[in-house]
Parts: sequence; structure tokens; C-alpha cells
Amino acid sequence: MERYSTNREYRISRPDIIHLLVIVALTLCCIIITAVSFSQHMETAYPQIFFFPILYATYYYTWRGIIVAGVCAVAYEALVYLYFSQNAFSLGSTIFQTLIFICVAAGVAYFIEKLKISETRYHSIFEFALHGAVIFDKNNFAIRLTNTRFKTLLGYSADELARMNFSTLFLNSDEQHRFFTELGSGEDIKNFDTVLVTKTGAPCHVILSWSMIDEYGVNCSVVDINECQSLRTVLDDTYTQYEQVIENSPIGIVILKDRKILFANPAFSTFSEYKPDEIIGTELSSLIHNDDLEEFHVFANPLETKTPPALIAEFRFISKSGGTKLAMLFFTPIIQKGHNPAVLINIVDSTEWEKQLGSSRQPNEEQRDIIKAVAQELRTPLQPIMGYLHLLIQDPMTYGITDETRQILDRCIKSVDQERQIINQMLELSVLDSGDAPLEYSVFPVLDLIRKIIETGGYILKAEININVPQELTFEADVHKISMVIDAMIANAVTYSKPPKKIWIIYRIAPLHPFHEIEIQDNGLGITDSQLDEIFTPIQPADAHKQKRKYDRVGFSLAIAKKYIQMHGGYISVDSIKNIGSTFTIHIPKQKPDGGEHPET
Amino acid sequence: MNTLKPKILLVENDQAILQLMEILLKNMGYEPVLVENGIDALQLVRREPPAMILLDIMMTPISGWEFLERLRSEPAHKEIPVILFTASTTVMERMAQMNDPRLGILHKPVTPSELKRSIEQYLL
Repeated sequence: MERYSTNREYRISRPDIIHLLVIVALTLCCIIITAVSFSQHMETAYPQIFFFPILYATYYYTWRGIIVAGVCAVAYEALVYLYFSQNAFSLGSTIFQTLIFICVAAGVAYFIEKLKISETRYHSIFEFALHGAVIFDKNNFAIRLTNTRFKTLLGYSADELARMNFSTLFLNSDEQHRFFTELGSGEDIKNFDTVLVTKTGAPCHVILSWSMIDEYGVNCSVVDINECQSLRTVLDDTYTQYEQVIENSPIGIVILKDRKILFANPAFSTFSEYKPDEIIGTELSSLIHNDDLEEFHVFANPLETKTPPALIAEFRFISKSGGTKLAMLFFTPIIQKGHNPAVLINIVDSTEWEKQLGSSRQPNEEQRDIIKAVAQELRTPLQPIMGYLHLLIQDPMTYGITDETRQILDRCIKSVDQERQIINQMLELSVLDSGDAPLEYSVFPVLDLIRKIIETGGYILKAEININVPQELTFEADVHKISMVIDAMIANAVTYSKPPKKIWIIYRIAPLHPFHEIEIQDNGLGITDSQLDEIFTPIQPADAHKQKRKYDRVGFSLAIAKKYIQMHGGYISVDSIKNIGSTFTIHIPKQKPDGGEHPET
Repeated sequence: MNTLKPKILLVENDQAILQLMEILLKNMGYEPVLVENGIDALQLVRREPPAMILLDIMMTPISGWEFLERLRSEPAHKEIPVILFTASTTVMERMAQMNDPRLGILHKPVTPSELKRSIEQYLL
């Protein structure tokens, strides 16, 4: 390849020496032949034989060929002078002859150089192309020519490649087979995606395009797509990561297109209880609670414009099982060029959160004042109702009350009593919430207290009550409040046991345990976990529509009981077995606390 | 006979309750005296002191508390038992501060028997 070198520095290589020797030999031959023919007076000797060394030199060394032409001219002129010096005419004609030598050499040199520049240009385009290039034989796949890029791509030298077969450069026989099939079609192939193997055995992803240059040769360009491939791998990895994030996200993710669900992740499936294939293609609005539908459409409408704004809103959903679930929706538009915008919706299930918020929500001072004022206002008009009812019942003769009327009046009194109790409990709760209810500690016998409660409450008439409390047991606590607690527990047990109603009140004797524990067991239907939260929670007016009140008869008494026990530093626990019954256990510290923490139930 | 019946003064601005209490107190064997405001009540007490006063708190022009203060400021009336008869819940603290053994409380609404028990407890 040295002959294409653009390096102007003079350097003698092996071919140069050979060329030089050939030129010298040819020149000497010409001189000898001419000298011999002149000496024999053979007028037939031709000076044209000098064109052999001249053209040879000019072909390989272009302009330097003129030097050879000059040498030949001088030699020829010298021979003419030597043998025909007396003939001036001969000298004149030979000068013309030698000028032809130089002119021919110059002309040939000019065209040869033109050709060489052109060839060098094309070759450098081939050699220094940004993609690999290889020319191989169509029949035996022998590699004829390769360029630098191709060599560096596979790590072979030019000599190594020159001895190799193009078909052996494929990574495996599958790729080779595909290549043969494509090549066999006889057509020019573009963008044949395949894998070659480098000298070190590493796979090399390339795109081949080839065309036939003649009957046997195939010119093949090789585009390196290894970086592309690694980028693709990175993209695949990133995609996998995104996919994992979406699949494992606790937040529901839905993509809407033209209002229809295009994608829904497992979290949304869990939330909605529908499998992805059940909801893909359906309208999201079909899962929205009817009451929220109008509002949802208001939100959904801007989504159809070209640039929907980001929106956040809360909606109720109807799950597959028919339950109502509350969720916070974050709408984010996904704008694609030339497409209708899709919408990404993150759905945060706020059902549980709302429930917890509801149970932890405490009325503020203003609310408490309103409750107090309302309760007080309700109390006053109850007085005449209650008073007159009692009056009529106590003196039926005077007021001409028949037995039938009396029964009706009795029911009225019961209802009025209940209402009075509820109002009083409302007041008590608001007082407890404001923290204005100090405890008045005293030591009192527990068994006596329980008996008194049962007697006063008339519970013995409603259920069979078994008491297992030591006679000598005393508590140090606020007797009034503990009495209310036990009363509420017994009332609850009596209300929710199944006939024949049986109730057990048991004191667990555990001398080393820091808490007194009194169990009140019933044989009722049991309480579900969801009901457990409700029974100790006073109903908030704002939540009333969301809950189905099943424990209305007991009113607020359990909520008050819970607070009373908490004030003592204790707690109430509940164990319940369906259809067997519930056990409410009151835990009160044996030691009077120093105003410490109140464990939660 | 009438003179033997203990006189009970009821200070209450709710007409419906006044009417009811009149009957109830009569039935219990007391002589009810009904007054709608504290000013009139004070004059009445000074004229003929009752055996007991049932006193509403939320009244105009003077509240039950003010009536009580003025009553107790008159030495002759320090001993008259007073039962606060109220729907309010915020009286307990103030009552405790006054530390008056002749001061009781009844929360509206009360049953006739609760009323009777309370009156009997405080009546001299």
C-alpha cells in the first residue's frame, strides 16, 4: 500500500530497488542494442526501444521518469556522436528524437499522476470510511479487501483478514445461515442485522448492507451497532425498572385515553377489585360513585383538550364487590405529538385514612361549646314533658288515665328517659373532651358496687348474671366514673346477648400484674373488627352518613367508658368470637398513676 | 292547714316549667310560690321568707348567681336552702368554690321523685 502513501519523504523500499534495477537494466539494454546496431552500420536500429525504460519509470515514478528520459536522450545522442559525428544532419535529426523522449515522458507522467490522485481519493474514502467495508468473493467468501474501521472493529490485522473467509466471521451457525440465505437471494441487501465475532471471541452487533460489484465480488458495508445495542440494553433495563415501580407501587396508576382505561397497575386492581383485563377498555367513570359522577365529568372534560391542566380531586369509587371507596386522584396529562393526549391518573386510596381521621378527629372547643349549648337547650323543654308524664302515671285516677293509656305513657317515659340520658352523655363527652373532668380518687369495695349497679339498672330481670369477684376486693379510683363504666359494660352485654341471656362478671386474680382486670362476658353474636372501631367512637355529625349505626341504644356510654378508663391510666380490651360472644375487659392500674400516660385501647 | 305547708319559692323564667312545678310541688304537699325573675324574688323573700328556694340560673335581668349573691349577703337569709335547678353543666365548679352546705343542684330535666328526694334532703 506504500505506493498510495502521501508521504513525500524519500524512502527506498524493496519494490523501489527492484524498479530501479529494472529501469537501469532496460536502459543499459537499450544503449547496448543501439551501440551494436550503430557499430554494424545497421540503419534499422530504432530509438523507440528507449521508451521501455522511460515508460516503466514514468508509470511508477511519474515525473521522475523524465530523468530517465533525459538519461536515455543523452545516451542516445552520445552514441550518435560516437558513430556518426561527421554527419551534422544525423545529429540534428537525433536531437528531435530525444526531445520526443522527454515530451512523451512528461505527457505520460501527467496522466499517470492524474490517475493516481483519483485512485488515492477513492481509496481513502474506502479506507477511512466511518463504517467498516469489506470486499469478498461471492463464491468462496475469501476476503479481498478490508478497511481500517472493519479491522479495528473485529481486532484483526489486514494480513490476518486477507487469509480469512468472510463466512467464518459470524458469531454462530444461525447467523451464518441467515447470511447465506440472504446472500443467496442474489439481491442487494440493506440493513441486515446480525452478530459477528471479534478476534477475542466477543460478539459484535452490526448491520450489513451489500451489493455485487462484479460477477464475483461483493462490496459489503458494516455498521457497528454495539453502542446502539448497549443503549438498547440500558433502555430495556430502565423500562424494566419503571415497570417494577409501576407494578409494585402501592398507589393505583391508571392511564386513560379517550376516557377509556388503557392501562391499570396491580394496586388499582386491588383497590377496584377488578382484574386488569376486566377494566382495560372500559370507561373509568363507570367505576365512579353516582353522586360523584357529575363532578368527575367536570374534571374529565378538560382532559380532552390539547393541554389539560394537572388536577387533584377526591372521588368515591364503587368496587367490584359493591363497596364504596374514597380515593384522591391526581390527573397528569401525557402529551404526545400528533396524538390525542392520554391522561395518567394516580389513585391514592384514602378510605382507611379517612376512617382513621374520623376516629381521631376531636371536636374543637367551638364545636364543644355548640354541643354544650344545644344539649342545655334540649334539656329545658324536656322538663315539662317528663314532669307531666310522671304526674299522669303517678295519679291515674285524678287524670282519668286508663290502663291502656298508662302503657302508652310508660313507653313515652322510657323514650324521654333515653333522650335525657343521651343528652347527658353528650354533655359528659364534651366535658371530657375539654379535659374539665378531674378524677376523685377513693378506695371502694368492688363487689358491692357491681351489685348496686345491677340492682339499680334492673339488669337481673333481663339476664342471668354470674358474678365472680372476691368479696374483699377494693379499687382505688373515681368511684362514680368506674360505676358508670361497669354500668355501660353490663348494659352493653345485656343488650347484645342472645336469649337465654347469660352474663359473666369475672375478676382475674393476678397479684403480680400491675392492672386490675374485670371481664364482662356475654353470649351474643360477637362483634366484627370493623364494628369494634365504631362502638367506642362517638358519632361525629359529619360522619353520620358514612356509618351504619348498629349500637345506637347504648348511645355514647361506651365512648364515655373508654375515656373514663383512659383517664385512670387503663384501657378496655375486647375479645370476640362470632356467635359465641364477646368479652370486654376493663384494665385499671392497681397503683394510682401520677398523671402519666394513658395507654390506648 | 295551709300555714303548715312549707313554702317553696320557685324562681324560673320558663312558663311551662313554672306551670308544671306548681302542680308537682302542690302534689308533694308544699306551698309553691312562683316568680319569673330574680328582682321580684328578692322582694318576696324579704317580705315572707320561704322554707326553700328552687333557683334557675339562666335568667334576666339578674342571673341566678347574682340573686344568690344578694340573698346570701343578707344575714337573715343565709340559712335558706337553695337548690339550683338548671340545664347548665358548668355550675359545678362555681358551686364547689362557694362551699355552701345549704346549696344543692338538680339538673333539668328531673323526675318528680328525684325532685322530691332532693327537696327533702335540703329542707330544714
